[in-house]
Amino acid sequence: MAGEVSIEQIADEMYQLVADSAGQKKLKATDLTKAMTSKYGDQVSKQDCKDAIKMLIDSGRCIYGYFGGSSIEIPHREGSEN
Amino acid sequence: MSVTTERRTDIGPPHYEQFLHPIIKANYGKWKYHEGLKPGVFVHVAESGDSIYTVRAASPRLISTDFVRKLTALADKYSDGYLRFTSRNNVEFLLGNKDNIDPLIKELEEFTLVGGTGRSISNIVHTQGWVHCHSSATDASGLVKVVMDELAEYFTSMKLPHKLRLAVACCLNMCGAVHASDIAILGVHRTPPRIDHKNLPNLCEIPTTVASCPNNAVRPTSIEGRSTVKVDEDKCMYCGNCFTVCPAMPIADALNDGVSIWVGGKISNARTEPMFTKLAVPYIPNNPPRWPEVTDAVKNIVEVYAKNAKPYERMGEWINRIGWPKFFDLTGIEFTKYHLDDFRHAGTTYRRSLQNRY
Amino acid sequence: MSDDLKTPLLDELEKGPWPSFVKDLKQMASKKPMVKDLLRQLEKSYRDKRGYWKHGGLVGIMGYGGGVIGRYTALPDEFPGVSHFHTLRVNQPSGWFYTSKALNELMDIWDAHGSGLLNVHGSTGDLVFLGTVTDELEPTFRDLTAKDWDLGGSGSDLRTPSCCVGPARCENACYDTLALTYDLTHKYQDELHRPMFNYKYKIKMSGCPNDCTAAIARSDMGIIGIWKDDIQVDQAAFAEYVDSGMDIQGSVVDKCPTGCISVEGKEIKIDNSNCVKCMHCINTLPKALRVGKERGAAVTIGAKAPIVEGALFGSVMIPFMKMDNFEDMHDLIERIWEFWDEHGKNRERIGECVERIGLATFIEGIGLDPVPQMVKQPRDNPYIFYEEYYEEES
Repeated sequence: MAGEVSIEQIADEMYQLVADSAGQKKLKATDLTKAMTSKYGDQVSKQDCKDAIKMLIDSGRCIYGYFGGSSIEIPHREGSEN
Repeated sequence: MSVTTERRTDIGPPHYEQFLHPIIKANYGKWKYHEGLKPGVFVHVAESGDSIYTVRAASPRLISTDFVRKLTALADKYSDGYLRFTSRNNVEFLLGNKDNIDPLIKELEEFTLVGGTGRSISNIVHTQGWVHCHSSATDASGLVKVVMDELAEYFTSMKLPHKLRLAVACCLNMCGAVHASDIAILGVHRTPPRIDHKNLPNLCEIPTTVASCPNNAVRPTSIEGRSTVKVDEDKCMYCGNCFTVCPAMPIADALNDGVSIWVGGKISNARTEPMFTKLAVPYIPNNPPRWPEVTDAVKNIVEVYAKNAKPYERMGEWINRIGWPKFFDLTGIEFTKYHLDDFRHAGTTYRRSLQNRY
Repeated sequence: MSDDLKTPLLDELEKGPWPSFVKDLKQMASKKPMVKDLLRQLEKSYRDKRGYWKHGGLVGIMGYGGGVIGRYTALPDEFPGVSHFHTLRVNQPSGWFYTSKALNELMDIWDAHGSGLLNVHGSTGDLVFLGTVTDELEPTFRDLTAKDWDLGGSGSDLRTPSCCVGPARCENACYDTLALTYDLTHKYQDELHRPMFNYKYKIKMSGCPNDCTAAIARSDMGIIGIWKDDIQVDQAAFAEYVDSGMDIQGSVVDKCPTGCISVEGKEIKIDNSNCVKCMHCINTLPKALRVGKERGAAVTIGAKAPIVEGALFGSVMIPFMKMDNFEDMHDLIERIWEFWDEHGKNRERIGECVERIGLATFIEGIGLDPVPQMVKQPRDNPYIFYEEYYEEES
């Protein structure tokens, strides 16, 4: 059932996925959601994943990026700014 | 850091009702008919008998707060402070008092043009160009300015066979969606991005750069032991998406960038179904500041259309009636190999009948 | 940096009858160093025939993934004033209606925080504030929200919905485009500000098949007003057109795509069962003809510009639906997003997704039955994958 995994835990696991793929692959919201639902099945809902992403973004741990498509990234100074 | 008041988010735009003229509010959804009074002016008459008058004027779309303040001052003076903008970047003043029409027009004409209604050329929808865009192959605001300078008489009059809708997009990403306009001016890159192999590994994430290409033309490679990328030139469509993520792959090419001209698209369902634009002129080099070759080519197409089309025929409807060979004949535009499609569904554009005019 | 502004090439664009953006920008340049450097860089672009901008993808408003477009000059040493030149998309009011008071307040905010340059409006519909630095983004947003304005969409999110003038000032409006735009924009704030889709999703609302927002060409989802019953005729007004000497035969009768109009004396007759709602006769005789009374909307799916697979027009998913309330529309939108989320690929627009998987699979996925109005014609190839067949009884 959805709600069995806490939003904090989902957010932490998503953060780890983003951190691990930084510089390799830009992950989007759907990538993170699919990773969580494939790991936990119906123990997490799409809404849980949405809430977790919102938590990551609102806390400033992650930011949105846009390079052709939108992604979720670790905050960093971007190349174009240099 | 000081604690501020609660941050507001997700409030959406304000409700439109507070921006509606009282006459509009009173007759919302109860309009009976409208009629053009003269170029740039029309009246909408409601079932109640109320009338609201609209005066339409040009804006260059790229404007300053000063320009907007000029418009709002005129709105305060003549239209009870009510104004709106159209999908083609014109400004419209909504007047309850008919007597204000001519004084308003007089003041508008001190800095812009009034028109763009009925059988006219309305404002050109366009993109950012060299003013703001990283992937543009030409400027947009400048092209609009020089083309409309040349065609201004068609904005301020209603003497064309039917409405003529122009659009400018500064590359084929088409933020201006020019693919369904009567005449479209489209910026084109003609060469793939050049790769700065020396700096690319430092400036760009290679997997991200590879993934940025919508057509899988960018591939990882290594040169002298350094990881970098290569571009499959047969696949590159010059969209500039790789430059978006990787500043070491500039797409701009002063020698080769330029514009192409397309004709015969339409959006509305009136008479005929919506149509895509088709290629008329494959390439004209950029020649700023006034692009004379482009303005000549556009003006030529407009004049040939104006002379030959029947009333109510849009550009595409006229061409469909006379046939493409005649279009090239009448306009004097050269037909080249670039006019033959070679992308997906190209075959649907080949002549598969003997119904040609000789 | 010298203070004088020499732009001989751009000066050529001060000439001519069309209003000059160069003239306008030069006036702002006297107040804003940022605009001065913008003009200098533009002059260089005109000389060198190329642009000098770099894309920024990370700047934004705290918590939002849309609404801000990052931009940096490629030549910051030469043009430090535009080292940052970011764009904010301000969500426009339905139908682009304003009061001068509201617009002036917006201009005050932009004068205080940015270049003072803007697009009224951008291609998607937003009011576009053009050019500010990263540090001014939050303060601009704070002042906007204090005056009840918010940002629009960008990136892989719901793009700012937009609509035509609709029932506010058009007799052809078959449903309330302004109300639906307001409703959808507010209902889907989360989808608008927090990119969660495969790619962008644009919704445009037009009140009739004249389609003044170009929904059929420019939106992933077009909601276009339509009616089902008879065109309303005012025969007395029609007789006045006849008396005025207008060429009714050439201008109206001959132009009808299905030949369903005839004129007897001063009376117009319309075979409504054969009318395809093209709007031509109504556009041409606005005093005599009006759209019918049984009104609603058609829904088209999948329009887009060429990248990647070629440009697409929207195609009809729903030929007619009532628009008395918007709940059915919410339901439809959410079913489409759900399906696209499940079956779409990264950076694949809904139109491309439908082309790839097939219309039959798509409509089945979102719970629609096939109807002949969805196609120009039935298939002409015999490669049918039958799902039902008989098996011999054992």
